[in-house]
Amino acid sequence: MSETSDFVLFLGRFHPLVVHLPIGFLFFAFMLELLGRKKQYEALTSAVPLALLSGFVSAVLACVLGYMLSLSGDYEQGMLDSHFWFGIVTTVLVLVAWLIRTGKIKLQEKQSLKANISTITLIVILLSVTGHYGGNLTHGSDYLTKYMPFNNTEETILTPVAKVEDAVVFDYLVAPILDAKCTSCHNESKKKGGLSLIDSLSIMKGGKGGDALIAGKSLESEIVKRVLLNPHHDDFMPPEGKTPLTEEEIDIVKYWIDHAAAGFSTKVGHVETSEHIKEIASVMLGLSNDPNKVELPVVTKVEESVLQEIISEGFTVSELVFDSNIYAVVLPSKTITENNMGELGKKLQVLAKIKDNVLWLHLEDNQVTDDHLEIINTFSNLQKLKLSRNPLTDAGVSQISNPIIESLNLYGTKITRASLEPLSKLTNLKNVYVWETAILKEDVDALQLRSEFPKFVLGI
Amino acid sequence: MCDHHDILRSNNKDLQSIEKQIDRRYFLKKTSLGIGALALGSLLNTEKAWSSIGNSGAGVNAFAKNKLGLPHHLPKAKRIIYLFQSGGPSQLDLFDYKPRLVDMFGKDLPESVIGGQRLTGMSGSQSTLPVAPSLFKFKQYGESRAWVSEIMPHLSEVVDDLCFIKSMQTDQINHTPAVTFMQTGHQLPGRPSIGSWLSYGLGSDNENLPTFITLISKNGKGQPLKAGLWGNGFLPTEHQGVQFRSGKDPVLYLNNPDNYDGTDRKKMLDYLDKLNSIQHDAYGDPEIQARMTQYEMAFRMQTSIPEVTDTSNEPEHIFEMYGKDSRDAGTYAANCLMARKLLEKGVKFVQLYHQGWDQHIGCPGGVKNKARQTDQATAALIKDLKQRGMLEDTLVVWGGEFGRTVYSQGQLTKKNYGRDHHPKAFTMWMAGAGVKPGFSYGETDDFSYNVTKDPVHVHDFHATLLHLFGVDHERLTFKHQGRRYRLTDVHGHLVKDILT
Repeated sequence: MSETSDFVLFLGRFHPLVVHLPIGFLFFAFMLELLGRKKQYEALTSAVPLALLSGFVSAVLACVLGYMLSLSGDYEQGMLDSHFWFGIVTTVLVLVAWLIRTGKIKLQEKQSLKANISTITLIVILLSVTGHYGGNLTHGSDYLTKYMPFNNTEETILTPVAKVEDAVVFDYLVAPILDAKCTSCHNESKKKGGLSLIDSLSIMKGGKGGDALIAGKSLESEIVKRVLLNPHHDDFMPPEGKTPLTEEEIDIVKYWIDHAAAGFSTKVGHVETSEHIKEIASVMLGLSNDPNKVELPVVTKVEESVLQEIISEGFTVSELVFDSNIYAVVLPSKTITENNMGELGKKLQVLAKIKDNVLWLHLEDNQVTDDHLEIINTFSNLQKLKLSRNPLTDAGVSQISNPIIESLNLYGTKITRASLEPLSKLTNLKNVYVWETAILKEDVDALQLRSEFPKFVLGI
Repeated sequence: MCDHHDILRSNNKDLQSIEKQIDRRYFLKKTSLGIGALALGSLLNTEKAWSSIGNSGAGVNAFAKNKLGLPHHLPKAKRIIYLFQSGGPSQLDLFDYKPRLVDMFGKDLPESVIGGQRLTGMSGSQSTLPVAPSLFKFKQYGESRAWVSEIMPHLSEVVDDLCFIKSMQTDQINHTPAVTFMQTGHQLPGRPSIGSWLSYGLGSDNENLPTFITLISKNGKGQPLKAGLWGNGFLPTEHQGVQFRSGKDPVLYLNNPDNYDGTDRKKMLDYLDKLNSIQHDAYGDPEIQARMTQYEMAFRMQTSIPEVTDTSNEPEHIFEMYGKDSRDAGTYAANCLMARKLLEKGVKFVQLYHQGWDQHIGCPGGVKNKARQTDQATAALIKDLKQRGMLEDTLVVWGGEFGRTVYSQGQLTKKNYGRDHHPKAFTMWMAGAGVKPGFSYGETDDFSYNVTKDPVHVHDFHATLLHLFGVDHERLTFKHQGRRYRLTDVHGHLVKDILT
């Protein structure tokens, strides 16, 4: 078939374009015929012969072009034959219909009416069938029904994996790429280049250009070679106008061929897998392998009016992660001085309305006393608390009990070594800043902590 | 004060028609800037509706909701001080210890190491490229056993808080493009600087002070710096860095003139604001908006700046820690101290510059001199931030625009050598918020010439820096001239291994 001249193929590719002309003409003829039965539109019937004739001429052209296209050999023979014969029959029938309509085939008056409507109805049916076969050839047989509601015939659903290592390389990583980027042209009904990538058997079979893949040698495998060509090269895949493979997708296919030896049941965990591949894979599988990912507490949304009230009390509020409802709250230093000491309690009461939403709280240099800590102790998700340069004493500080507190800044307060013991019992506490307090290095050393944390940071 | 001005504008038909003509002419004239400028104008207009009383910064509205959808994840850093060592500090004489070079003294640098790299015009024509080992002694310090040269005695005390990146790489070999690249992500001027991006994205933490402040050591010699390095590029102008003067009076004209008590200043500014609003409604020029914001800021700075720049009530031991220079306003040490005060007050980005690290000739003496000017204050800043509990959410960055060559530019003697620019490998360090303390990342070959392990490109550094602030570098964008720009453009990979 390779002898087919390029020019024939060039013309052949006009088939999908030209084929819409007869479809349009003939459907229109059908409409005219139907409407013409009504008295008020009777005049329309005179246009039916013209529509049929145009339909016939364009259908013949479409048939010829379609035959030329079929010579490329890119299509599945069975479906192609059906399309071919249905097309021919439709065309012939259109000729017959025209002959009847123009009276070139003489029938009795009554019969003629019936014959007209029945032939033209038959044409529409045949046209639809032919068109459907044509569509299947071009787009693949599942194209039409893929997004049909309640379509349960989806291909096998993969059970989600918990770890990247458990994923079968081909099924979980390679097949989705092929499905997204390749199989619309390389499937059982439309084997462009004689290649189908629909399942393991067809992939192993390869295409006209030889083996699609050579295990262990990705750069010699046609499947990889083609996608790595210069995008303007004739053989580059996918062809112009289609979305090319991304670098990550190419890396995965290469990895499959080189490391997983193009096996169809090999799992990621079975073979040598670089961090880079694992990263791509975990993104593809929707798994996160980010060790830095911090679990944020889940909290309720804060009403805007509440936030506004807190801000009007002088707090600076910023959301720590967008839309998480988790906040860092700062009361700027010296908002509270000796002159307005009474106000702090009220301000903290207002802030307590979002006590579960505050992750970081800074109250440096604001006359915070031991009594105020009672309110702050109810802040259940507090992670960092800055209380430096406030007149706090051991009595209050030793009561601090926020369950997940990690960092506590107490520099410049009135605490002594008596606070060390109770603070060291807070399990999540990592850093405690006690510079410019009565606490000395000896006191911290004497504590003999069992674990590395908390660290007590003194002056340096 | 009466408001006759706007009444005149809105009621007078002639004025209105003139205004319309100017509008059109303005539009045509401005089409060189593209519809983008106008779109930006309307964008800012919508922002006006969102912004809180007193403008809490571009990114954030009254209800603490960031309009750009930031931060993307939980930040580690709330603020940053970037100690920019301009000129290209010699990694070979400071941190990247190469003991085997001693045996190579004076030998020609093998071509296999240079790898066909095109050298600068300053040393490219030399007949030989003699290997120049560092004159300084190196020792290991701290629990992390980090190698530091003897000319950084104070910094060596805090190595356990530092995270060295020995495998930095840049694309640029000359100062201006290299510094511009380091500060804006592009070698050509016109892109927003790192600080502008952060200000634009995250807004301000203290509405009485600029979000982004630049401090430059006084009497800086060597390669010049330019305002574009802390410029806003195409971002709204209020996000550019505010440069403080290096001297006694960091911001001029904040004091009221003689015989004026300032009581009606606010009223005056409010009226000026009104006039500017009319102007803005007529022309839609975003610069008018920026100017209004900056007038407001200047007004608030009248009280905030004198307070924050006054170091006189710092205790004696703090001055001692930063070194005697710290009493001399405008020096590197004094700037470090002021930077700490600014950070304490909620300034998000302090960009500090120290010039003169460009030792083409007399490298040992020059580097030693620069180290002497900066070493103690740098170390003091780390210690001071740490004891105040600020190091855990403050990022400290130290580095220049590129490194220096292992071979001597000019004559190599037993006591002297020069070093040319070297973009392929140099050292930077970070400390604090979210980076591993006492850690060293990346390796170079025996000549500190090529990176042999874990290269970190400038774009990667930027991506990592933004990550620490809770920003995904691929998602903080600004549309300008028809496309969306990022600090890292189309590059940048997060350096995960240096994160805690």
